[in-house]
Amino acid sequence: MNAFYRLAPLALGAAFLATAAPAARYHHVQITAASPSEAVRWYERHMDCRPLAGRNDSADCDGVELIFVAQPTRGSTQGTGVNHIAFSYADLEAKMADLEAVGVRGSGVRLQRFEDGATWRDVPGRFKHGFIFDPWGTRIELVEDPGHRGFHHVHLSAADPAATLSWYREAFGGQPAKLNGRDDALRFGDVWLLASRHPDGEPAPTRSRAIAHIAFEVPDIERAARGMRSRGIEFHGGPGTPERGRTQARRAFAAGPDNVTVALVEPGYAGVAAVADAGPDSRAVENYAAPRTPWGEPDLQGVWTGNAAHGIPLERPAALADVEALTPEQAAARRERGTLGSIWGYEREWRDTTLGYDKMRPSTQVAMIVDPPEGRLPPLTPAGERMAAAARRERERRASAPPAGPEDLTPYVRCITKGVPGMMMPGIYNNGLQIVQGPGYVAIQKEMIHETRAVPTEPRAPAGPGLTSWLGDSQGRWEGDTLVVETQRFNGRSPYRGTTAAMQLTERFTRVGPAKLLYEFTVDDPAVWVRPWTARFAFDLDDEQYELVEYACHEGNYGMFNILSGARAKDREAAAAAP
Amino acid sequence: MTIQRATTRLTRGTLRRQAGRVASATLGLALAALLPAPAQEGAIPRAFDGRPDLNGIWQAIGTAHWNLEDHPAAPGHPDLGAIGAIPPGQGVVVGGAIPYLDAAKAQRQKNFEKRLTDDPEAKCFLPGVPRATYLPYPFQIIQGDRKIMLVYGFADANRTIHMDKPGPEPPPLDSWMGRSHGRWEGDTLVVDAQGFNGQAWFDRAGNFASARLRVEERYSPLGRNAIRYEATMTDPAVFSKPWTIRLPLYRRLEENARVLEFKCVEFAEDLMYGHLRRNPTR
Repeated sequence: MNAFYRLAPLALGAAFLATAAPAARYHHVQITAASPSEAVRWYERHMDCRPLAGRNDSADCDGVELIFVAQPTRGSTQGTGVNHIAFSYADLEAKMADLEAVGVRGSGVRLQRFEDGATWRDVPGRFKHGFIFDPWGTRIELVEDPGHRGFHHVHLSAADPAATLSWYREAFGGQPAKLNGRDDALRFGDVWLLASRHPDGEPAPTRSRAIAHIAFEVPDIERAARGMRSRGIEFHGGPGTPERGRTQARRAFAAGPDNVTVALVEPGYAGVAAVADAGPDSRAVENYAAPRTPWGEPDLQGVWTGNAAHGIPLERPAALADVEALTPEQAAARRERGTLGSIWGYEREWRDTTLGYDKMRPSTQVAMIVDPPEGRLPPLTPAGERMAAAARRERERRASAPPAGPEDLTPYVRCITKGVPGMMMPGIYNNGLQIVQGPGYVAIQKEMIHETRAVPTEPRAPAGPGLTSWLGDSQGRWEGDTLVVETQRFNGRSPYRGTTAAMQLTERFTRVGPAKLLYEFTVDDPAVWVRPWTARFAFDLDDEQYELVEYACHEGNYGMFNILSGARAKDREAAAAAP
Repeated sequence: MTIQRATTRLTRGTLRRQAGRVASATLGLALAALLPAPAQEGAIPRAFDGRPDLNGIWQAIGTAHWNLEDHPAAPGHPDLGAIGAIPPGQGVVVGGAIPYLDAAKAQRQKNFEKRLTDDPEAKCFLPGVPRATYLPYPFQIIQGDRKIMLVYGFADANRTIHMDKPGPEPPPLDSWMGRSHGRWEGDTLVVDAQGFNGQAWFDRAGNFASARLRVEERYSPLGRNAIRYEATMTDPAVFSKPWTIRLPLYRRLEENARVLEFKCVEFAEDLMYGHLRRNPTR
């Protein structure tokens, strides 16, 4: 049984008897979506909404508008004070079957199955219902209410449901009613407003989540706002005409209960015109000069991601030997394969919005290696051949038997390190790179595992030969606008494509545009390759949205327990099977 | 060949360093002329903006990492002999004792008894705040114009102190190291840290807090080579009132001082997974 319906029924609070405000109309739901036009198409295709004429960011669902805004987001509706919105269908079973057939790939449909795997259920005293998510994290309930088709309700998640409904009643009117004859609700025309008890303390703010706010249309916004203010309700802004408002109609934002942002709009409100390109400019700019820190060094600071570069192979594929660059379509398809193909489809919302993938045009670069010019690793030395063969045998040994202990797993699986340059390479998630500078030092922090290198830009004596480490000893310097980092003294235990402890790694960080950081590295490991090789890709600034989270990798490494206890179970099975 | 390369670099480096010293001395004079004459703090290095310049490698000296409160010498794991023993130490808690609620005091005792397996430090877990500050390892302050980064060697821990946000933002999620917002009060860097996951300890004696912990840290330079570090812990779930620790942090003066990588995960693997080895070690 779904948790929302398992909650205690509401008490009909005396608050409902309080004087109600003049009736408002439920007006819109603002949804944060990486691609508003894609969202309009999605709701048209799957929820029978109609695109609004001349608007590529809004849909009309039976008189309730969905307004999609491309904004930084912190994820889905779950955990906030607006748990979901709901649509009613004549034949829920058929509708859920249709949605299941859509699949999760691309801008697909993510089903939230019940514990028994069913996509919908029929509980006595309830409408048939099921849950899905749109690709941007909005939880949507589908119900079969014979009394009303189309946009059905907004379901709040409240610390005190009775108090919350009473708040909305005082603010916006609405007709107290019981859904299914049992759940306390307010009716705004055909739209129900429901509230259930939040399972865990106080709901998270809706701001920056998939449903950013819900909105009511009031006949007189000044009067409504004044009335609400006089009751102590705080406003985040307005009433006023928003910048880039499509009409002169005004709106205001009130701090609703349960950290829900509630908008008031006056008749004629039609949203805000989208900015043409919400994403940061990620192109390189000719003759670009990096900004300077106040103490005069090139300023590389900020949070960058490798999201655009994800999918670029290190070596040039043979089939692309003569190709200068992929087409944007090929690049998009490559990244799609690299990211969505490797994870469950439900991660798309997370990838696109939380990780900010959709803002970053996929790189059209064919391969990372730029030297040798053919884009392939140089030939191995005879010793390199022997080492490569030994490494291959070791991989095969590990693959053929359950691990005897942690040492049979990679340092990455063990949450120790990805090594360098491994840690710099784009990964699908937790791909953030934070650079913080102080005079004479550049801190380079990668989110994955959480690894930080504090690189001095003033010369210091290198670490002694006896002092090796996973990430080595780095010395930086500025060459014009480029930060050059030379690293040595590796312990050799986290090889990248066969590198050894003797590797000399030279990395070059150049800000080639306001939002583009070119990263180039040269591996000189003469024991392995007959000549050094150089690879390159770019990080993109995502300072507005992206914040590195604490990737407490080892602390949460349940995988180690599972892998090793699984290995011991296999050992026992093998022992039992032995004659 | 390697030796030759290193020699060349060193020579070039020495020249550059000398040039740098001249340049920064000139810059220092220029800045000093611009700044209002501060009272009694001539020795505090100043950043580009006139704030104290805390850049450098710092370390606490003492036994706070063993126990924040007064503690006599005590035995450790017998296999380690005197090396594992707990050295005596004077407490750093202002007023002497941590004002635990009764239930929490019992938990602290449980923690102490199970410290050899349960202490997050033993498991190489991120140390939390303020513990990261007085672990017996150096840490580096990288102080720029928008953020201050604290880089700790132990467990690759680090913190970003946001100096460019008008007020504390709600932490997006709980974490070991929390979310830190900083501001200057005169010459003191004040850091508000919250958003903790409640799993970190304060020391090897099992002192602890819950996820409701809020820490206000104060870094006050005492001249060029020392900082007075204070941290006030507020956590109504564990303590009857806020309490403060105070201890000095010393600049590591070795010319070559650096925060060395201490990726300790592999040293905790036997403790955590030894029973799951093919040949169990635990």
